Amino acid sequence: MPEKYDAIVIGAGHNGLVNAAYLARAGLKVLVLERRHVIGGATVTEEIYPGFKFTVFSYVVSLLRPEIIRDLELSRHGLTILPLESTLSPLPDGDRLYRDGDHYRSSRDIARFSPRDADAYEDYGQTMYFMAKAVKHILGIIPPDPAALHPGELRNLARIARHFLDLDEKQAYTLARLMTASSADFVERWFESEPLKGTLSASGIIGTYLGPRSPGTAYVLLHHYMGEIDGMFRAWGFSKGGTGGISEAIARSAGAFGAEIRTNAPVASVILRQDRAVGVALENGDEIFADLVVSSLDPRQTFLKLVDTDLLPADLVTAIRRFNIRGSSGKVNLALDAAPQLACWPGVGPHLSGAISISPSIDYIERAYDDSKYGDFSRQPYIDVIIPSMIDPDMAPPGKHVMSCFVQYAPYQLREGTWDEKREAFGDTVIETLAEYFPNLKDIILHRQVLTPKDIEETVGLTEGNIFQGELSLWQLFFLRPAPGFADYATPIKNYYQCGSGTHPGGGITGAPGRLAALEILKRRKR
Amino acid sequence: MTGRPFSARYDVILIGAGHNGLVTAGYLGKAGYRVLVLEAREILGGAATTEEIFPGFRADTGSFDAGGFLPQVVAELSLRKHGLRFVETPVVAFAPQPDGRALTLWREPGKSLAEIEQFSREDAEKFPQFQSQVQRMTEALRRMMTLTPPPLSSYHARDLLPWLRAAVDVRRMGRQGLMDFLRVLPMPVADFLDEWFENPVYKGILGSLGVRGTMAGPRSPGTALLFLYGVQGAAAKQSRSSRFVRGGMLQLAEALARAAHEHGVEIRTGCRISQVCTHAGRATGVLLDNGEEILARVVVSNASPRHTFLDLVGPEQLEVRFVREVNNIRYRGSLARVILALDALPHFRAAASREVLTKEGTLLSGHTVLCPGLDYLERAYDAAKYGQISEHPVLDLSIPTMLDASFAPPGKHLMLINVQYAPYHLAEGDWDVEKGRLGRRVIDLLDEYAPGLQNLVLHQEVLSPVDLERRFGLPEGCIYHGQMALDQLLVMRPVPGYSQYRTPIQGLYLCGAGTHPGGGVTGAPGHNAAREILHDLRLRSHPV
Repeated sequence: MPEKYDAIVIGAGHNGLVNAAYLARAGLKVLVLERRHVIGGATVTEEIYPGFKFTVFSYVVSLLRPEIIRDLELSRHGLTILPLESTLSPLPDGDRLYRDGDHYRSSRDIARFSPRDADAYEDYGQTMYFMAKAVKHILGIIPPDPAALHPGELRNLARIARHFLDLDEKQAYTLARLMTASSADFVERWFESEPLKGTLSASGIIGTYLGPRSPGTAYVLLHHYMGEIDGMFRAWGFSKGGTGGISEAIARSAGAFGAEIRTNAPVASVILRQDRAVGVALENGDEIFADLVVSSLDPRQTFLKLVDTDLLPADLVTAIRRFNIRGSSGKVNLALDAAPQLACWPGVGPHLSGAISISPSIDYIERAYDDSKYGDFSRQPYIDVIIPSMIDPDMAPPGKHVMSCFVQYAPYQLREGTWDEKREAFGDTVIETLAEYFPNLKDIILHRQVLTPKDIEETVGLTEGNIFQGELSLWQLFFLRPAPGFADYATPIKNYYQCGSGTHPGGGITGAPGRLAALEILKRRKR
Repeated sequence: MTGRPFSARYDVILIGAGHNGLVTAGYLGKAGYRVLVLEAREILGGAATTEEIFPGFRADTGSFDAGGFLPQVVAELSLRKHGLRFVETPVVAFAPQPDGRALTLWREPGKSLAEIEQFSREDAEKFPQFQSQVQRMTEALRRMMTLTPPPLSSYHARDLLPWLRAAVDVRRMGRQGLMDFLRVLPMPVADFLDEWFENPVYKGILGSLGVRGTMAGPRSPGTALLFLYGVQGAAAKQSRSSRFVRGGMLQLAEALARAAHEHGVEIRTGCRISQVCTHAGRATGVLLDNGEEILARVVVSNASPRHTFLDLVGPEQLEVRFVREVNNIRYRGSLARVILALDALPHFRAAASREVLTKEGTLLSGHTVLCPGLDYLERAYDAAKYGQISEHPVLDLSIPTMLDASFAPPGKHLMLINVQYAPYHLAEGDWDVEKGRLGRRVIDLLDEYAPGLQNLVLHQEVLSPVDLERRFGLPEGCIYHGQMALDQLLVMRPVPGYSQYRTPIQGLYLCGAGTHPGGGVTGAPGHNAAREILHDLRLRSHPV
């Protein structure tokens, strides 16, 4: 007797799990299939070396939608977000810029570089707060189709238009600017001192293959501000147990609603009968059947790998092939014998419990981007460091530490050689760069794990190692994500849906695509 | 009696006789208003003019291609009757390559297709489809160019209806067409071209259009829009414009001036304005630097937003927030002009080595583009980001004497070269010194493609971005009166809230390239400004 489910979700990343949990919560019999031996996708904690727990890929959380935490009772299922309150930007000249939840202290530190910037800082924070609030609405809706002429879609469009017309004029223009400007130009409207401009504009390039001077990156900046709205600066946080703690909490919630999760179960293809999805075939040949199939994989795999492209409209296939999914980032995870010491701020203290951003100026990041444009990794990369064991001591043995370093740029496509040949050189570059700021770093490294975009692709299956399952560029957002006309989580194949970061509203640990896809699926089932 | 000063001799004073100013003047004169145009220089046309640059050589010192000029302006102001003629060249663009090969785009699409085929059969196959997509999109864009962008908070039917009508037209492109249009506009031109073509040579010719005069590289988002904006001046089935004004750019200004004269418009040259006079928040006229004050009901400025508001009106007359917005307009000029007087026609290796049907000169009749690929272009931009002049610049040149020998003494030739990138803000050094180096670099580069060219140079003139600023009043040498980047277009141009050619000073309007839709020799800002000014003048014409 073949197994039969109401829904099969492909991939147990955080979006797949959120999707499964919502479907199970609505009473569906759900099966989640994960290729790896662990759940979580890129939202995973793994003990790579005994006693050292690495937040292997994603490392901070801020964007997880509050309604998901509430609906799925994630707190009850063990989700604990520890605050990540500060950003420390060490500078090459031995100075530093330190910003934390204490606004006055941050202002004072900024004023050392520019009193004008200190004055503008509050205005900037408020502006971003309002803008994030305005855009938050968009994160919670299914994108309408502007080319559709039927009344339902037009009504949705009108509703969105009305929402934006509620903004006062100044806010509306600021939003228009955020949607179109480069992060460098955007922050330069407020600030003049390089350390502040560099570190602020860096948020605009994360996960993109663009530099801070590329238009459109201001939106990514805003995307990273969304987290700061509900609990103010508290909202950038670190999940207890690493980001894997988030996946586990969602998995427990899904399990409590009756969903089943199977690991080591790679899906080879979606089984179709008369143009509708009826189940999946595993790589081992097993077939599992269900009323509907949801893919949380990136659009390339969802459309070009899991199903036969001949069954899809040609324009969709073209659009997905064009979909910009260039990987640009790498990750270096370190097991450390002792606490790392910063040259600009020696000693152990709360300053090591926040983010440490190697982004001393806009030009520094832009030059890092220049290297990568022609197929090399940055000689002096932008690095976003956190030391999880400073926040959650359970992450490493007593007295030892783990360090998570997110690195940009590491282009998936190298001009010369392969990533296998260049992996260690890339790791060395990152360590050399960090050692300028952490003088004792080289002496305390016990183990290092270097993840190139190729490794990210091979380990978690993200095509080209793109952490957002597709760049958050203007032409790949909202009703254009992942392809025009297919932004409503459905596909041209009946009963086959998408729910990954490649759909609206995009990447980061938001859970929003998973949730919105579930809502759309449930709405359609009711019909 | 409303606020209108009793002694006003003119209905309208227009500051600046650039092509946009003259277009506005023409329309206002035609509507029966008394218009006075004041131009600081002795010559008309602003940055679209022709000057005797060396003895016996007359050159278009500013723009030299007028492909984008709106046909409706030509018709409505009867410019043909006033002597305006365009010259369309058989070759649109000739792109010699470092290896001695060349790609030529001809006015005849069939011939271009054959050329592209030499480089890539696959690209040639996609060429017709690409052309038709680009044409659909530029048509939509052209529609939008003559509309007035509504303020973001507007509910007024007068503001919104024309856009709705345009939207319906764009929707007629079909679902896919509309989606493509929305998708492509914010893209980098490199990504857009990569979607279609594989060969770097063709992409180089097209890509250079997407960054012309702007501080952006082909990988910068928004350059696909600039590319389409550049292409919209091209004739049907062309991917570039190559249309010159017979007799030089000045003849466009002269034709516009004659049309304006016919409607009673007065034009005074050599009149430098020191101030826009205001009274109680309303423009009353202008003050010349010789102390003369001229009154008018309405003042229209063809000058840049920076010069208009910060120099002529004065920040003290304006709200702090508005001044801050004006200060924040990004100009960042990135283009220099080199003008060479040549003893004879240069011989491009790539032209000589090819068995062309016609004589060699034909290839040089349109634009000659030295941009062998998108990476080359991007690298040229990399330098400029950090305030350096490109080591390997991109050149877009024209030899006007190919079309009209009267530009130079018999047998001599003239070469106009746009050079990118030449950033206005240099990290080190001074433009007055660096321009000599730039000139040499350009000649050296040309000499590689056309051996012996350096020995043909009789005279040379380099207009650095600083020179362009001094000569034409282009702030920071920006040919567009404000970068044409996504965040400085449409409702954001020139500054948020003032996209309708009106300003915070009542009775003061803008009509230059700093307003929608932007720069280039299109006449569109002038045309649109005239519509808005006429609307206001008519509302206020009776209550005296």
